[in-house]
Amino acid sequence: MTSSLAGRRVATAPATRRRSVEGGWKQITINRAFLLPAVVVFVFLFVIPLAQGFYWSLTDFTGYSDEAEFVGLANYAEILRDPSMLSGLSFTVVFAVGSTLVTTLLAIPLAVQLNKAFAGRNFVRSLWFFPAVPSMAILGLVWGYILSPLPSGVLNTLLNDWFGIEAISWLSDNTLAQGSVIMVSVWAQVGWHAVLYVAYLQSIPSEYYEVAKIDGASARQQFFGITLPLLTPAIVISTFLLLTAGLKVYELPFTLTGGGPGFTTYTITQSIVTAGVGQGRYGLASALAVLFTVAVAVIGFTQLKVASAIGKRFS
Amino acid sequence: MTTPVWRRVALSVVMLALALVIGVPLYYVLVNSFKTQAEMVTSPLALPHQWTFDNWGDALGDTAIYQAFGNTLYVTVLGVLLQLFVGAMAAYAMLITHSRLARFAAAALLLGFMIPGQSTLIPLYRTLVGLSLVDDLNGLVLMYLGGSIFCFFLIQGYMRTIPYEVIEAARVDGAGTFQVFWRIVLPLIRPILVTVGVFQTMWVWNDFLLPTVFLSSPQKQTIVLQVYNAVSEFTTDWPAFMTITVIALIPMVVFFVFTQRHIVSGLLAGSVKG
Repeated sequence: MTSSLAGRRVATAPATRRRSVEGGWKQITINRAFLLPAVVVFVFLFVIPLAQGFYWSLTDFTGYSDEAEFVGLANYAEILRDPSMLSGLSFTVVFAVGSTLVTTLLAIPLAVQLNKAFAGRNFVRSLWFFPAVPSMAILGLVWGYILSPLPSGVLNTLLNDWFGIEAISWLSDNTLAQGSVIMVSVWAQVGWHAVLYVAYLQSIPSEYYEVAKIDGASARQQFFGITLPLLTPAIVISTFLLLTAGLKVYELPFTLTGGGPGFTTYTITQSIVTAGVGQGRYGLASALAVLFTVAVAVIGFTQLKVASAIGKRFS
Repeated sequence: MTTPVWRRVALSVVMLALALVIGVPLYYVLVNSFKTQAEMVTSPLALPHQWTFDNWGDALGDTAIYQAFGNTLYVTVLGVLLQLFVGAMAAYAMLITHSRLARFAAAALLLGFMIPGQSTLIPLYRTLVGLSLVDDLNGLVLMYLGGSIFCFFLIQGYMRTIPYEVIEAARVDGAGTFQVFWRIVLPLIRPILVTVGVFQTMWVWNDFLLPTVFLSSPQKQTIVLQVYNAVSEFTTDWPAFMTITVIALIPMVVFFVFTQRHIVSGLLAGSVKG
């Protein structure tokens, strides 16, 4: 992606202009010095730690002694035997896929409504959007009180007052706890993903709908025949963001359920922090981090490929 | 488009009602900060019978909250300014050099862009322990410098819209490379700096992962950590927790009201690059 852009720029910049800008070797050195801080950041915050982590993942390094034995893939095998890490892996995937699906299925119809003219539209948009702004850690704590199993938990109180439903253990039942985490994340994200879709909806020419109406297409047919296909680029972007954010999830389950009950809402990130920082098992935590990096990279590149393939079809 | 009036009214009513449901959790926190514990249990969503300001008095009388705000402000302002500066410098370098090396560097940075923070967390933690920068706000600022790569990409895209003649003209007038950057380029790219700055401010201000790993002493806490710790402190005193939460949310509401346009455009720009 970057190389093609750079290539385009070189092509539009005539050789004479380039020479006048670059100047002599002294000037070239000064020019390149501007890149230096970013390169230093990149090397010290990305390259070196990644290499270190990969190396540690093959050793039994604990941080308590400088001795580190090479253990091959033993750490990776250990992950597959550790119940907390396995549930962390599985819940992270369940969360990423679940929150992506539910948010997308709700955000698109919501965007279609938010794109129509109605009184108070800006206020409504802002209200939907706002939960994306505060820290997810704080929102998780707030929802912890709302979903609390105690009699003072507001959701249970309301359900009991209005429908006479007995207290539901939202956060202490395995399935319900996982569902609750996904539900809160959908609550927090759906508004701003809808705003993203609105931005794309506004670029669809209204003539398309007028022609469709003259041809007698129903609202349903218009949605599936015009809106949805033209939203494809937005869907690619939105689901990419949701999936990658979902894989990195940490704060919400940590503050809402603490990873429980048991390890049912444990996440990969929580495993890495607990094993690495908490217990000093650097080798094990690094192995998990390596697996995580590979997974995010594979999903990221797949999505980029899909996005560019779709981009070509629609341009 | 001729939509019947009743349908527009109906849509308005339905959308407002739905949006209010979305806003209930925020209302819930706010309204209960003015109630006593007993009243909160009996009527969690009603307006207070008897408005009490004791929770607010207690929360605002605790100096820890001011300390936490100060810490968060320090880390956010310094962290975001440095990110923007490093990112803008690199983008400027890409604009004025056309070497293969620079292009290679940009491609490498793109890779860094895809790497999640969790991947480098453990080695960086070790390194900061070694440098005695753990439990130090400046160490945390260093960690947030990783965000400069993201800034670089967004700023670089925007910088291409600057007419090259402007930079050349300044050169002809005898301005040095840094002068051109500081006096000409930075003012010209102000819109993207604001957008990216707002976006990164939200990340740093709200972040929980890095502060929880890198900070330990109570007087170094950021506001999010402060709220998190308040939960264990006030296990039974819910209104006290609600009050702290409202205090932590107020800056976000103010920030949202004043920068909503930039937040939306930043999220969109970030999503296109993402």
